[in-house]
Amino acid sequence: MYRFLLTHAIRDWAEKTPEQEAVRFAGQSLTYAELEARTNSLARLLIDQGVKRGDRVGIFMNKSLEAAVSLYASMKAGAAYVPLDPFAPPQRLAYVIQNCGIRHVLSAEAKRAQVNEILCESVELDCLVGIEGVERQGLRAFSWDQADAFPSSGLDLHLTEQDLAYILYTSGSTGVPKGIMHIHRSGLSFAEWAAQTYKLSPSDRLSNHAPLHFDLSTFDFFAGAIAGATTTLIPEALTKFPANLTKLIEEERLTVWYSVPFALIQLVERGVIEKRDLSALRWVLFAGEVFPTKHLRQLMIRLPDSKFSNLFGPTETNVCTYYHVLEVPPDTDEPIPIGKVCANLEELVVDDQDRPVAPGEVGELLIRGGVVMKGYWGMPERNAACFYRRPTLGSFEDVFYRTGDLVQLDAAGNYRYLGRKDRQIKTRGYRVELDEVEAALDSHQGVFEAAVYTMPDPQGSSLIVASIVPHPGVALDEPMLVEHLRARLPFYAIPTQIWIMDEFPRTSTGKIDRRELQAMAIRNLNGNDISP
Amino acid sequence: MDRKIALSDYIKQEVMRNPKANLDDAEDLFNAGILDSLAILQLVAFIEENFKIKIPDEDVIFENFQNLNALASYLETQKAAE
Repeated sequence: MYRFLLTHAIRDWAEKTPEQEAVRFAGQSLTYAELEARTNSLARLLIDQGVKRGDRVGIFMNKSLEAAVSLYASMKAGAAYVPLDPFAPPQRLAYVIQNCGIRHVLSAEAKRAQVNEILCESVELDCLVGIEGVERQGLRAFSWDQADAFPSSGLDLHLTEQDLAYILYTSGSTGVPKGIMHIHRSGLSFAEWAAQTYKLSPSDRLSNHAPLHFDLSTFDFFAGAIAGATTTLIPEALTKFPANLTKLIEEERLTVWYSVPFALIQLVERGVIEKRDLSALRWVLFAGEVFPTKHLRQLMIRLPDSKFSNLFGPTETNVCTYYHVLEVPPDTDEPIPIGKVCANLEELVVDDQDRPVAPGEVGELLIRGGVVMKGYWGMPERNAACFYRRPTLGSFEDVFYRTGDLVQLDAAGNYRYLGRKDRQIKTRGYRVELDEVEAALDSHQGVFEAAVYTMPDPQGSSLIVASIVPHPGVALDEPMLVEHLRARLPFYAIPTQIWIMDEFPRTSTGKIDRRELQAMAIRNLNGNDISP
Repeated sequence: MDRKIALSDYIKQEVMRNPKANLDDAEDLFNAGILDSLAILQLVAFIEENFKIKIPDEDVIFENFQNLNALASYLETQKAAE
């Protein structure tokens, strides 16, 4: 059957294999027929409650079967789904809801307290599903049972592949999060490529380790659904425990795993893999960060039956390059390549004057093709800057997305990742703009100046560290600053250490010497005073 | 000193970085977003050093760390077994 929307896959499998499990969570499951029926019902409720094509629907809940129902139902109603990080501070979530114009939120009873806090941040909603009895002017609340009571037959809204599908909010360098908009075409372009490349089939059982607001989750759900496979959502709490995760992989007989390298490093170090039977696992996929080679080597030794693949690309392009890791050289810890550009995409590597570089030279990676996002929500200037329009063939032009990633083609024809053009970093797989953390510290009235930088993480990633200089005469301590940041930033963006200093080291031009701050922090890793 | 109090103090001081924070013994440390992977490692190191109780990797599981009550009772069993 024709497929041009992300929701078509579940519609089709609900007919072909209605009894096949589509999603599993904590021992419960929904078959394709049940998933199709529940998403149709919820979509009808949303339309009944005023959702129009192009609207945005918030999803605010922990991992659950309803989370899977929610994302498909939002899209079936013609809206984009917008995952709201279940652990982010209410003030930040209120910003996302207002920035994105969300009027409908799908949630769960366990989130009642946070929803009330968000509503106190002058957020106005029309409709809330999953929490009953929340009394607000103009707000209609429904239980999940009420949603399921709507008719479950299919809808036909005449949506196109150009309709918005999902918006993922990520750290923004201006101090507030920004929304990355994907349409059905960009989501499907990636999912179709992934389903084909990793030869997913109905007998596969995929993990869903990443949170919904991470682009990794789109592989778990959409590539899995295209293949008619089963996706197991992993409860957030278990993702913190490697020994639980390996047990889950064994019990669920997972065949495809996808996560950030940090989670896999933890599995090697503390997952007691030797006590588990993980032989069903045929693909181990990772993305989001460089996998340190020495840890990857260990993982490959521990999982002799699995194949390994490095997927690369900012959320703005889903995934744009990939590299199947056949072997890791025994004698060097040089990082593995990010590989070749995925099918149906085109890359361009340019210098800072936008001139294509010669093969082997370092440049910024630009990508064009079906996987590229539509743009950032409500940021016309940023959109103008991030797309590069290159005239070709007279009046025709190619539109490339500027990834901000510096790459280099190696002798074997694989790209290698060398770093970022800006101050965007990854800490244990989470994407953070250091400028956003600085802005959050600067917004504390006692802070005169703040500098945020990274430090190597003994667990194979990077850690965020901050130094601040208070206003003269103001007494600040770390708990006060942490409390201030907790109200504004997700937990992973909060510096692991905040040094309070009388003054900053400066470069010869008077700028804050972040490199020296970083060196001081590393020297004092064990918690000593770092005053110069 | 009572282990549960020491654990609670440690989590408030080092993980929540707020000695005056409220932390109920039955509070779910993960639903509330208090502990992350890094904090669990720190907590295990703290326990092994201060209580002289060895925690094998396969015991570092959600069921033993869900809240302070669960952790204290696990440590009691583990201490008795040593």
